[in-house]
Amino acid sequence: MTGAELVFVPLGAVALGSSVLVVTTDQLVRAALWLVVALGALAGCFLLLAAELVAWVQVLIYVGAVVVLLLFGIMLTRAPIGRSVDLDSGNRVAALVVALGTAGTLVTVVVGGFRTASIDLGDGSAGSAGTVGAGLFRYWVLPFELLSVLLLAALVGAIVLSRRDIGPRARDGGED
Amino acid sequence: MSGFFSQAQQLQAPDVAYQAVLPMLLVLGAACVSVLFEAFLPRERRWGWQVALTVVTLAGAAISLIVYGNDAPKAGVKTFSDVLTIDRPTLFLWGTLLLLAFGAVLLIADRSVEPGGAFVAQAAIRPGTLQDRVQAAKVGMQTEVFPLTLFALGGMMVFCAANDLLTMFVALEVLSLPLYLMAGLARRRRLLSQEAAVKYFLLGAFASAFFLYGIALLYGYAGSVKLADIATAAAGTNRSDTLLFAGMGLLVVGLLFKASVGPFHTWTPDVYQGSPTPVTAFMAACTKVAAFGGILRVLMGAFASTNWEWRGVLWGVAIASMAIGAVLGLTQTDVKRMIAYSSVAHAGFLLVGSIALTSKGVSGTLFYLLAYGLTTVATFGIVSLVRDADGEASHLSQWAGLAKRSPIVAGVFTFLLLALAGIPLTSGFVGKFVVFSAALQSGMAPLVVVALVFSAVAAFFYLRVIVLMYFSEPAADGPTVTVPGAFTTMAITIGALATLVLGVFPSFALDWAGAGGFTF
Amino acid sequence: MTPSYYLLLSAVLFSLGAVGVLVRRNAVVVFMCVELMLNAVNLSLVTFARINGSLDGQVMAFFVMVVAAAEVVVGLAIIMSIFRTRRSASVDDSNLLKY
Repeated sequence: MTGAELVFVPLGAVALGSSVLVVTTDQLVRAALWLVVALGALAGCFLLLAAELVAWVQVLIYVGAVVVLLLFGIMLTRAPIGRSVDLDSGNRVAALVVALGTAGTLVTVVVGGFRTASIDLGDGSAGSAGTVGAGLFRYWVLPFELLSVLLLAALVGAIVLSRRDIGPRARDGGED
Repeated sequence: MSGFFSQAQQLQAPDVAYQAVLPMLLVLGAACVSVLFEAFLPRERRWGWQVALTVVTLAGAAISLIVYGNDAPKAGVKTFSDVLTIDRPTLFLWGTLLLLAFGAVLLIADRSVEPGGAFVAQAAIRPGTLQDRVQAAKVGMQTEVFPLTLFALGGMMVFCAANDLLTMFVALEVLSLPLYLMAGLARRRRLLSQEAAVKYFLLGAFASAFFLYGIALLYGYAGSVKLADIATAAAGTNRSDTLLFAGMGLLVVGLLFKASVGPFHTWTPDVYQGSPTPVTAFMAACTKVAAFGGILRVLMGAFASTNWEWRGVLWGVAIASMAIGAVLGLTQTDVKRMIAYSSVAHAGFLLVGSIALTSKGVSGTLFYLLAYGLTTVATFGIVSLVRDADGEASHLSQWAGLAKRSPIVAGVFTFLLLALAGIPLTSGFVGKFVVFSAALQSGMAPLVVVALVFSAVAAFFYLRVIVLMYFSEPAADGPTVTVPGAFTTMAITIGALATLVLGVFPSFALDWAGAGGFTF
Repeated sequence: MTPSYYLLLSAVLFSLGAVGVLVRRNAVVVFMCVELMLNAVNLSLVTFARINGSLDGQVMAFFVMVVAAAEVVVGLAIIMSIFRTRRSASVDDSNLLKY
């Protein structure tokens, strides 16, 4: 067992265990907090794979922003903090069948396809911000610009749905 | 540090064929300008400016498309480091999208049918409260719909020109997110509309996750996300083909979801019913064009060489889609839901053309998309006219005896339904004809027979509506038919006229659709 | 070391997320499960980038994260708006959020 494997095993176990808890826990807030743990463990996996930038972006965007937003969502929808009894729907059996099917296929496909492949973890500079940035701006300029458009659209849309009384109140007849 | 600087010097900006991508740049640029309008114009002036900007943009993009298309190289142009391909099918799809978006924007901009427009004045006001009743009567609308429409349109244009899966994914999100939002902005029946938005969003996000896993597997298989590289890898590699087909399966599921092909259509009826009717028109016409543009490009570009492996599965999907659309459409009692199931059936017919994988199949599918989109926009325009005190009277029973109240509206609607059913002298007939003959030529005779059977079944539910409109007595407290303003009249006229013209003289559009094949 | 462990983990996490989407009733939790699926995809992408020795996979993972962030913004806005409606108005008891 190499060093990388020694680190990977606990990280993977944590990611797996906390993901199971996200899916099964009957407390909403805990689901979000377990999600943080799972995402953090995955960030660790990214570091192991020498994807440095991706790992830090994962921590910043996912753990830092997305989950915090989700927590806001839970709080603002006044979800119960404690146990909720009806968090699961009745179609457990169907879901189980679907899941086992998906998992079975994916696992055989993926593992079968890459049983013999191996990676060396020697070159640490592969995932640094410099190299990723160069790739990003040399080949993926258009998708990158599209991302900015996407963020703008999301921003406008979120404001439309949630902000009230924009504009002069007096002219609206003060009905708010 | 020195490494960084030497890299910065090496970094070259990719070449951009500005003239070729000008329509797309215009649409996305206008979307940003439109956001600025929202930010700086006083509320009562926004509607006029937004409508003017959107219409001018669409016209400008169309003109630049025509100017470029006249002397575009037949082999197509790749630009932005090869992430976009502007070839003949792209130009045709862009033209179709711009035309259909123009029709949809006319419906979106209309303020005569529903005073103030089909969109809510302030989305953040809770439905059912006093303020909500006040705003339902108010003239203003949430004019952010216009930038969102342009964003979605820009995403669609990139989506059907994308030459690799990453660009496709980002474009898919750019086209989807605005649509999720717009689905929830109806002025009337707001809860239904919001539910449509939530459902569309959650299922859409679920489907994009599958799409993405497909991309990941294909990337693992081919070592690249470019369609051409995947095709090369599929032609000769020592990696297991199961990886290729698993990746392709997941990718195609994501695409079929967007195109509302059954059995991945579950969102379609609810979302079509709940969204504001102009948005439904936009979604039904333009999303379908973009999604099938993407499906055609992916199937032709990346998986054509392995088609004997997967074609059988897509046969099954096409049959399932036609069956679901035709059979469940018969049982519907709501006009919008019925048209939604009709769109599922049409998606099946389109898929028949898409899996022919010949140049005739491509041109037939492109023509079908144009014809179907124009008919659909006009159909939803008519649906928005039949109203009662609560807004649109979309229950079928309320349409009984409509011909006695308004012969013109009933007549036009009948014509459009006949086009959807594929009766000769309408564009629907020509579309089905070219698609099915392409499928026959590539040896899919059994599938064509099944498709013909299901077109006959589907024709039955259009006829049911026609019979209802002409041979039933109108209810005493039935709906009224609103006299449409200029915008809606124009949208319906364009759609209905095009349905007729493409049905009687289809050759010019067929020539455009068949002007050249995909470049990868 | 062999990369198949990473791919295995990714496949399992993806399936877990899919189960969550199908089983859970609360829209926010459903959405968390979608995020889990996206993360599983990212793990695959980064692993494949490593195997193939190309950067594209990492770039894609980066794109996926930003797209996911935009999705969260839109999704929460939509989910919020419907929760506000449900609480204030007894319009009907549609079971959409419990599907």
